[in-house]
Amino acid sequence: MEKTAMIGFGCAGYHALRTMRQQGYQGEIHVYANVSHPPANPMLTTYYVAGRIPYEGMFPFGSLQELASEYQAVLHMDTNVLRVDTASRQVILSDQTAEAYDQILIATGARAVSPALGGGSQNRRFLMRTAQDALQLKKLLDEGNVSSAVVVGASMVGIKVVELLHDRGISVVLTDLAPRMFPLACMEETAQEIRKDLERRGIVTMLGSGVDRTETYEQGIFTYLSDGRVLESDILVLCMGTRANVELVANTQVIDSEPVKVNRGIVVDRRMQTTVPGIYAAGDCCEGLNIQTGETALIGLWANAAEQGRCAGVNMAGGDVLYGGSLPSNITHYFDVDFVGVGDPNIPGHRHIFRRGKETYALTEQDGRISCVNILGNYRNSGMIHQALTKIIAGEDPEFGPDRWGLLEAGGVPEEFLTFMGGLL
Amino acid sequence: MRYKITFDEAKCVACGACAVACMDQNDIQAEEGQLPLRRTFTKESRLHPEETFGYYSHACEHCDDAPCIPACPSGCLFKDPDTGFTVFDTTNCIGCRSCAFACPHGAPTMGLDGKMLKCDGCSQRVKAGLLPACVAVCPFDALTLEESYNP
Repeated sequence: MEKTAMIGFGCAGYHALRTMRQQGYQGEIHVYANVSHPPANPMLTTYYVAGRIPYEGMFPFGSLQELASEYQAVLHMDTNVLRVDTASRQVILSDQTAEAYDQILIATGARAVSPALGGGSQNRRFLMRTAQDALQLKKLLDEGNVSSAVVVGASMVGIKVVELLHDRGISVVLTDLAPRMFPLACMEETAQEIRKDLERRGIVTMLGSGVDRTETYEQGIFTYLSDGRVLESDILVLCMGTRANVELVANTQVIDSEPVKVNRGIVVDRRMQTTVPGIYAAGDCCEGLNIQTGETALIGLWANAAEQGRCAGVNMAGGDVLYGGSLPSNITHYFDVDFVGVGDPNIPGHRHIFRRGKETYALTEQDGRISCVNILGNYRNSGMIHQALTKIIAGEDPEFGPDRWGLLEAGGVPEEFLTFMGGLL
Repeated sequence: MRYKITFDEAKCVACGACAVACMDQNDIQAEEGQLPLRRTFTKESRLHPEETFGYYSHACEHCDDAPCIPACPSGCLFKDPDTGFTVFDTTNCIGCRSCAFACPHGAPTMGLDGKMLKCDGCSQRVKAGLLPACVAVCPFDALTLEESYNP
């Protein structure tokens, strides 16, 4: 009987498993994961800490027992995979035992960036990526002895951490090496509006300054910024982005065949196959097609991981589908603010900004082509704009007909913005 | 069995009864600023004025491969096995708007409790042998419920 191994059991792994069974794959599927819990969503950690969902709410696909039963999977939980021998398609476990498979999916995800920032105990420094990270921070906050915090990272995770701390009455300083909020999604103009709004709520922002080192003491932590400022707080939360978990296949010795190509992530083709036949990768550990650049890139988004997992699942079950690719795109809701970013804000071009009440609509255009859209204050029709821009960038018909136009207008999008954007579609 | 709610623009007279029925069926609180899950609007191309002016009634399209389902970080959206409608259980909804961001039709919105709300095709009514509220009330059959078997 054919045998498939999946290493990692998050969003991409779950969707690949589910899809393979939906496609009628009859072989054995063995799932290896170095955690004991079901697939978790890193995005939900801040909502658990905020008390918005129960602990079980961080695991959106159900229990391990349910998943093993429904998808006939052999789950090897709490199991460390040492490496993948790509030439022989073997999974090497930490006890050096090896198991051979017909095909392997690497879906090891990504981990929070955690730089070495100095000595002292770790119980004042927190990350926000895993269920364990969330448990640790929530436990300390629930004890009620935290009144001040420094959050490093003006990112989508960072802003949710700021929000939950602020909502608990904790004074917060937000810092980032980047000079503006959401630097990978936000244009300068919208970033300024977001920053002003945060300051108005009493959150101190110190952007454009990195963290050199930290120093913990019994009741708190000192954070030394690169511009010489020193911050003292009860806790420090690092939300500095993620790093793809590529170590299983990086630098592996390969004889008589090509190694798995690894850049910042594991490089895959549009079938989600690595440079080694039979070895696939999906989710935050891999570089998929960025339709804005035409090259592979890490775009760590939940929906991307799901789509990549589904694509890998079809192909591993014997089908033949191509991953359509994606572009940097985000939506976040914090406090009472909605922010939408589609496309790369760092591509140069002419900026056009339209305002309507408390809402801001901004786009970047160069030679008649839109490269980025930011919306502040209106989420309702963001999907239509998201899809239209994605199709344009992919060179497809955006299908932005009069019905879409009317729907966007009915949803409150200013006519001037629509006219301008529509003229470029 | 799967169902689709279809709209025939040529039969619509812009009476808005579908939107009112939707509000009634789903307890939409208009006085709180909530909008119906089915929206009516005029369809007019500003860029191509030669195209026919018309009326439109729009709600969730209940896509076969609905992009809102995998986009939801909490697994709140799924296909109803009996009707094929895209339905939801918002127990663990975090109000993140990822569903709205994934939807090419602008269907998901937020309820007064901060959780996602969208047209569910009146799936409970349909399972009980009734028509969706908007279809039942449409005076000129511009909205109809069509059924087909999944291949």
